[in-house]
Amino acid sequence: MIKLLQVLIDGTLVGLVYGLVAISFVVIYRASKIVNLSQGEVLVFGALFLWTFTFGVKALGYDMPLWLGLLVTMVACVGFGLLLERFVFRPLIGQPAFAIFMASIALLVMLRGTAQLVWTAETRPFPAFLPGGALQLGPFMVSTKLLIGALFTIALTAGLHLFFTRSRRGLRLAAVAEDHNTALSLGVSVRGAIAVAWILGTVVATFGAIVFLSGRIVSLEVASIGFKALPVALLGGLESIRGAPLAGILIGVGEAVAMAYLDPVTNGVASNVLPFAVMIGVLLLRPQGLFGWKKIERL
Amino acid sequence: MGLTLTNVDVVYGGVIQVLRSANIEVPDGKMVVLLGSNGAGKTTTLRAISGLLHADLGEVTAGEIQFNGKNIANGDPIGIFDLGIVQVLEGRKVLEHLTVEQNLRIGAHRRSDLRAVKHDLEKVYNYFPRLPDLLPRTAGYLSGGEMQMLLIGRALMAAPKLLILDEPSMGLAPMLVEQLFEVIGRINREEGMTVLLVEQNARAAIRQCDYGYVMDGGRIVLHGTREQLEQNQDVQEFYLGLSIGEERRNFRDVKHYRRRKRWLG
Ligand SMILES: Nc1ncnc2c1ncn2[C@@H]1O[C@H](COP(=O)(O)OP(=O)(O)OP(=O)(O)O)[C@@H](O)[C@H]1O
Ligand SMILES: [Mg+2]
Repeated sequence: MIKLLQVLIDGTLVGLVYGLVAISFVVIYRASKIVNLSQGEVLVFGALFLWTFTFGVKALGYDMPLWLGLLVTMVACVGFGLLLERFVFRPLIGQPAFAIFMASIALLVMLRGTAQLVWTAETRPFPAFLPGGALQLGPFMVSTKLLIGALFTIALTAGLHLFFTRSRRGLRLAAVAEDHNTALSLGVSVRGAIAVAWILGTVVATFGAIVFLSGRIVSLEVASIGFKALPVALLGGLESIRGAPLAGILIGVGEAVAMAYLDPVTNGVASNVLPFAVMIGVLLLRPQGLFGWKKIERL
Repeated sequence: MGLTLTNVDVVYGGVIQVLRSANIEVPDGKMVVLLGSNGAGKTTTLRAISGLLHADLGEVTAGEIQFNGKNIANGDPIGIFDLGIVQVLEGRKVLEHLTVEQNLRIGAHRRSDLRAVKHDLEKVYNYFPRLPDLLPRTAGYLSGGEMQMLLIGRALMAAPKLLILDEPSMGLAPMLVEQLFEVIGRINREEGMTVLLVEQNARAAIRQCDYGYVMDGGRIVLHGTREQLEQNQDVQEFYLGLSIGEERRNFRDVKHYRRRKRWLG
């Protein structure tokens, strides 16, 4: 019983990290209707920027306070997001989904290559932003880092939800998410909204890197979290910010349960396969996900 | 002053010419109706005015579109919006997953005069007394009539100088159509707002307008004051006698589906 509860706690916390990364898929999809398969690599870039502006500059003999390193990293993310939007995806808008799909795979490979070229393939330590260790709550152990990350994800979700439903800027983005032509007829800059969405997506992915990697090792392998978060984004609904953490918990818990109880008898396959089995199930049964938009048919 | 189209040609995709030397005048404070059968080029005319042609691979290739002394042909749609030209698209384009309130707020998203925005919201409620009760509802689930109120209300929230309406009566019951045009007529008279209205429901539209144009095959084939139109034999035959059947509406749906679009990124 205690073991099961511990598994549920772990699954929930890890799931919320997936949810955080899934939010980065969602904000980009809402505005541009593009599912960026290389989002995991974008996250790795965020992590590498952060390494560069912390340990990297330190190795060169400069001492930069952590907050400044974080700030510079965010600026770099903004630039990086804009770059991807402007030179890769904007020219592709309106092309068939298949072309965009292929382009995001090409981008995935190219980003990996660039990362290896610039930062080499060696693994690097990631700054410990969040305290390590675990809290002992009665019989349960809760990773401090993941707990803070989980709270952050929930706060970010609430914040983004308010932003998209209350603020002017957010409502503009919501209008673009609904329909480009209608948004334009209301004086909303569709192009501007898409650029903002890419910036947001890149920054949120980097938050994901911070939570996930704090005190650990950065390597290109980390990008696979993008592929974990994709089923989460689909399950939550590609348009739904609030769906992402909820779906993250579902998939995280499912994965943790599979890991604890099925992996021993399946050679560790079950937990790896589960998110993708869920993804296929979602695509077949409810393509809009739990909270995504189904086209409202009414006349 | 007002809006003037002079010898405007519009070409889609570089080859399909749709407007042929169209001349239209919408003087300040007046309500002008543009009539014409399916495919005549009415929506194209409106898109040319509001700058939304570009998204459909269309372009004004000749002529001038003047608004208050400025040539806005092939202009940037947001710049044109800021000049005060606000178009309500055909086909009840509410932002379906947002609430009625959010839809109304988006209408005013480029305005900084918050006090006047509040005042305009009261005005909208005054013209459409049902709207305040609908505020928390999801716009996509409103009835057709309610959506049309919301769309016009949303456009009014932008405080337009020229309000452009593309077939607001489409798919509404005759009773509602009558009421809708009365409200549009009131907005025109009480606010002094210039209105350009595209319609197939000619009878009700003509009754409210000051002046009307009839378009066919991308050309203006007839124009005149309300009295002239009401007495004109051709208008009588082609528009006032014609009922809008199901068949025609379906044809429209098919046609919209077929068109090629450029995305707006
Ligand atoms: N994006 C486009 N590309 C090519 N041709 C187009 C495009 N949009 C419209 N057309 C063509 O231009 C002509 C006029 O279309 P338009 O939509 O302006 O007509 P309309 O008068 O508004 O008709 P309706 O009453 O059906 O709305 C039609 O023949 C149509 O097929
Ligand atoms: Mg039309």
